Amino acid sequence: MPQTRIKLVANNRPIGRVLLACMVLGFASLIAAGVAAAWLTDRNQDHVRWVNHTYEVELAIANASIAIEQGETPRRGYLITRAPVYLDTYLTNRARQPATLARVGRLTADNPRQRANYAKLVALVADLQRQRDRTVTLVREGRGREAIAVFFAETDAKRMMAIRRLATQMADEERRLLKIRDADQASSVRAFYLVLGIAGLILLIVAILSVTTVMRYTRDLTRSRDSLNTLNETLEEQVAERTADLSLANDEIQRFAYIVSHDLRSPLVNVMGFTAELAATVTPLEELLERAETTAPEIVTEEARLAVREDLPEAVGFIRTSTQKMDRLINAILKLSREGRRVIAPEPLDIAEIVRNICGSMQHIIDDRGASVSVEGTIPALTSDRLAIEQILSNLIENATKYLKPGRPGVITVSGHEERGRVLLSVADNGRGIDTRDHARVFDLFRRSGAQDQPGEGIGLAHVRALAYRLGGTIDLTSELGEGATFRLNLPKTLTVQDQKA
Amino acid sequence: MSEHQTVGIVMIEDDEGHARLIEKNIRRAGISNAIRHFTDGGTALDFLFNAPDGPALNGPALILLDLNLPDMSGTDILVRIKAEGSPLRRTPVVVLTTTDDKIEIQRCYDLGCNVYITKPVNYESFATAIRQLGLFLSVIQVPEVEG
Repeated sequence: MPQTRIKLVANNRPIGRVLLACMVLGFASLIAAGVAAAWLTDRNQDHVRWVNHTYEVELAIANASIAIEQGETPRRGYLITRAPVYLDTYLTNRARQPATLARVGRLTADNPRQRANYAKLVALVADLQRQRDRTVTLVREGRGREAIAVFFAETDAKRMMAIRRLATQMADEERRLLKIRDADQASSVRAFYLVLGIAGLILLIVAILSVTTVMRYTRDLTRSRDSLNTLNETLEEQVAERTADLSLANDEIQRFAYIVSHDLRSPLVNVMGFTAELAATVTPLEELLERAETTAPEIVTEEARLAVREDLPEAVGFIRTSTQKMDRLINAILKLSREGRRVIAPEPLDIAEIVRNICGSMQHIIDDRGASVSVEGTIPALTSDRLAIEQILSNLIENATKYLKPGRPGVITVSGHEERGRVLLSVADNGRGIDTRDHARVFDLFRRSGAQDQPGEGIGLAHVRALAYRLGGTIDLTSELGEGATFRLNLPKTLTVQDQKA
Repeated sequence: MSEHQTVGIVMIEDDEGHARLIEKNIRRAGISNAIRHFTDGGTALDFLFNAPDGPALNGPALILLDLNLPDMSGTDILVRIKAEGSPLRRTPVVVLTTTDDKIEIQRCYDLGCNVYITKPVNYESFATAIRQLGLFLSVIQVPEVEG
């Protein structure tokens, strides 16, 4: 038998998990790229600010240098010409100078190295200023010669050079800082591109993974659909094969039951036969015992009397009843196996008529037991095997009259209705009912339910069920203890025989 | 049987108990012919065809045959007895077995068995049946065995 297993797409759980992981990973890398971009923008703004700062510092230094340089020209002009216009210019310049210098100080306040440079610059400028002020003051006091002499003696040019160098140094320092910041910026950009690259790579991998997963999933789906289709196509075939297998197995069981019951019978005939022979010996023995008791009582022992009068008949009696019971059980198995072998002959049946016939044939039993049987409503026509239906119904009706509730007259109702091509026959009674626990059990061979106060071997319902199965039907029951029972027989409306065997 | 004492009864039955019960009940019916009992097919066939005191060489017989034998099927023995040219082909054969299978019964009659009896399971019926068989045996005519 070809065992086509459908590989269900039930393993979509890992697929779902893979897809979810891919999505999470993709989103995570997108978020990382976004965060990196934001970080880079922030760094950029920072950098721009610092670049501006550098230019500002440079500008401030240049301004301060120019102011210092410009202070020299009017001083010299005044020294030579003593014209008041030079003095004015000199004074205006001098007043502006501290502000320009202070600006440099403010801008470089954050850098210790620049601060040191600045302090040196301030000192040099202050020194220079003092020198200039001295010469200007000398001129204003009319001591021009003295002023000129001071001018020639002063080491102004050297100091000026130092101031210029210092200014350049400070500007260079700012340039250096800018370079460091540029390098920083470049490394930030590199980091950003790295993050972007990694994110892109992850996205690519995720995309490939997702696509392959989906494709595999789709392929699996297609494959299961194909195998389903194939299965569908071969279903009829498989059902036929299975049915053939089943009926083979059934035949085997039937044969087995038949052989077993036959072979069990053989020794039983011996047991029963020789028991009968044994029983037959009791009579002559008893006669002998009686004769002995009258003629020679002294030879009759109590043991011999007991053996002949009690033990022997008792033993024979037990052997008889047991073998008879065994015989009935074996007969039941044989009957069931025969029933399975019997050829089913479907014909249109009038159930009400059959029920009337059954009641007619067992009227005296029904009357004796104080019950009444009636057919309720109209029972749908049915095509099935007459003998089997008769046996089923008579068994069920007989059972219903048998297990009445003491003190309650039996009312047995047979009814039926049609449902989707099946006919449901019910045999309901108001008897003693069957315990729920025993509902399945009562249909088993040799199994009975409730008080064992009625004769029977537990064969009837097993036989009924076997017949019902044979007719392509089922049987079940609803019952409460003490509340009666309803047996429901579900049969095909028209029985068609497929495996007709002789 | 017209010639008393001369018609031997050959019983082929594997169950000793059955054989004993059959014999007892036949005796109860007043039959006093010699009964030879065999529990398997091989020795039975040997006796039937080859034994100096067997039916093939020594006078008429009647055969009681059980179909379920340990070494062969009773129908095989039936075939041998009833075969064309067999000295025993006119010898009456009573098949006495537990099988009541329709096909088996038909087959036995087709093969030439003279009477087919199913052993009743119930002992009383069994005893009655054997006694009636005994009565039947007491009236039937058995042909001479051909030389």
